[in-house]
Amino acid sequence: MATSSHAARPPADALEVTALGLIGSTATRPLRGVGGFTILVLQTLMTSVTRRFALREFLEQLWFLARVSAVPAFMLSIPYVVMAAFTFNILLIEFGGADFSGTGAAISAVNQIGPLVTVLVVTGAGASAMCADLGARTIREEIDALKVMGIDPIQALIVPRVVAATVTALLLSAVVTLVGLIGAFFFSVFFQHVTPGAFVASMTLITGTSDVIISTVKAALFGLTAGLIACYQGTTVKGGPAGVGNAVNETVVMSFVLLFVINIIVTAIGFKVTT
Amino acid sequence: MSANAVVRQRYPRVTARAVSVRAWWQALGEQTRFYGHTLYAVLFALGRYRGEMLRQIAAMSMGTGALAVVGGTVTVVAFLTMSTGGVVAAQGYNQFSQIGVEALTGFGSAFLNPRLITPTTAAIALAATVGAGATAQLGAMRINEEIDALEVMGIRAVAYLASTRVAAGVIVVIPLYCVAIVLAFLAARVGTTAFYGQSTGVYDHYFHTFLVPGDVLRSFAVTIVVAVVVMLIHTYHGFNAAGGPAGVGEAVGRATRTSLVISAFVILLVTMALYGQTGNFNFAG
Repeated sequence: MATSSHAARPPADALEVTALGLIGSTATRPLRGVGGFTILVLQTLMTSVTRRFALREFLEQLWFLARVSAVPAFMLSIPYVVMAAFTFNILLIEFGGADFSGTGAAISAVNQIGPLVTVLVVTGAGASAMCADLGARTIREEIDALKVMGIDPIQALIVPRVVAATVTALLLSAVVTLVGLIGAFFFSVFFQHVTPGAFVASMTLITGTSDVIISTVKAALFGLTAGLIACYQGTTVKGGPAGVGNAVNETVVMSFVLLFVINIIVTAIGFKVTT
Repeated sequence: MSANAVVRQRYPRVTARAVSVRAWWQALGEQTRFYGHTLYAVLFALGRYRGEMLRQIAAMSMGTGALAVVGGTVTVVAFLTMSTGGVVAAQGYNQFSQIGVEALTGFGSAFLNPRLITPTTAAIALAATVGAGATAQLGAMRINEEIDALEVMGIRAVAYLASTRVAAGVIVVIPLYCVAIVLAFLAARVGTTAFYGQSTGVYDHYFHTFLVPGDVLRSFAVTIVVAVVVMLIHTYHGFNAAGGPAGVGEAVGRATRTSLVISAFVILLVTMALYGQTGNFNFAG
């Protein structure tokens, strides 16, 4: 029992024999994760510019990610934007300004809900599937086999996946925003009796090109980060079925946390730059 | 039999489509049956498997594996709601100041946080941490044939594994939600007053004027419904994982995807049911 749990741990150094060393190694494990992730990011960056780009793998991954995340993107963006429109319209009808409901819908769809739903879809659908796929390959020792055959897994597998995640996130954010706005339009016009012309005319009152650009930048950053995290977790899987499940779980949690942080930082910077 | 064979040979594509539709329909029925069974067995689990339930509550609130190192579900939820509160401050303050009413940021926090942001954030956090963790655990148990072993030992697997997790999820979400909403309010206040330099008196005045205590309770109800739905979906996918280590990973991904979509619709419908057509809001007090 004790030996098996010991064997599951990453390669032990001499320190770990003592109790103090055990505490130390537990405490530094998150730091090791950060270090390993940083190494992977740097290697991916280097490889993407110095080595040949695996175009075929990239196209396959792009298609895979688009297929996995298209339906969740539609299904998520409609309820979120409708809910935001519902909440804003309550307020605007109370003010007597229901004609401006397009403004509220545009702010929520372009500035926050578009990027948020992109995060959810890219992470919950795309990155989790990518991590499960890579994790299964790692468990079956296919990655090691690639290395033995002289193929660099970073060049062959990771760079195309990360680029594909970035491109998919970019494309998805546009789709999510459009679908959300159309959903909000139908909900406001047919259920809350807003004038359709006023809705469309007021959409661009506050939201402009700069907001769309910020939203796009956010989406690209989300895709990049989620792809890197999925690849890191997928290639460092250990310990059979439970390990793969935990890796996917950790991918989702870490991506959510990191992407929410990126969202708030880019929102604040975006306002500083554009106003 | 012969008529079936003739139809299959004459119309192969139609038959294939019909078979796939039937399989999909059957899976839907199986899922419904599993959900009904799980909810029904909660009572049984409360009486008989109390120890397991306590263990699940502890595991869910503190987290397992790498999650436990960073402080568990509580930390993740706290972090997510703090960042959404920060977004309310950044977006709300800047957007309101474009039309010259940045004093209303406190109102924005009091109105948007309970109604819109905290339930959705809590649903996302629950699905990602507690839910995905449950799928990973149950999926691994299914692949290792531990669930079959439980049934052979005469333990009711659905009650012992699924019902305890659903009940524990609902129990854990209560303190979790309290942490979430307090931190969302605090982060919006600190963001607006400390970073954007609004005076705290102005912020607190508009915040307290427009905070409806009923809103907080209603969003609490939304979150509890969401917790039940998320836990049911995740336990189902874990319980029925198949196909080796890769299957567990795929099950976790599929469960997260499904529960995010379903919880969004559930939040929308429950919100509209609770607040009603008029929205239950009076600006004039």
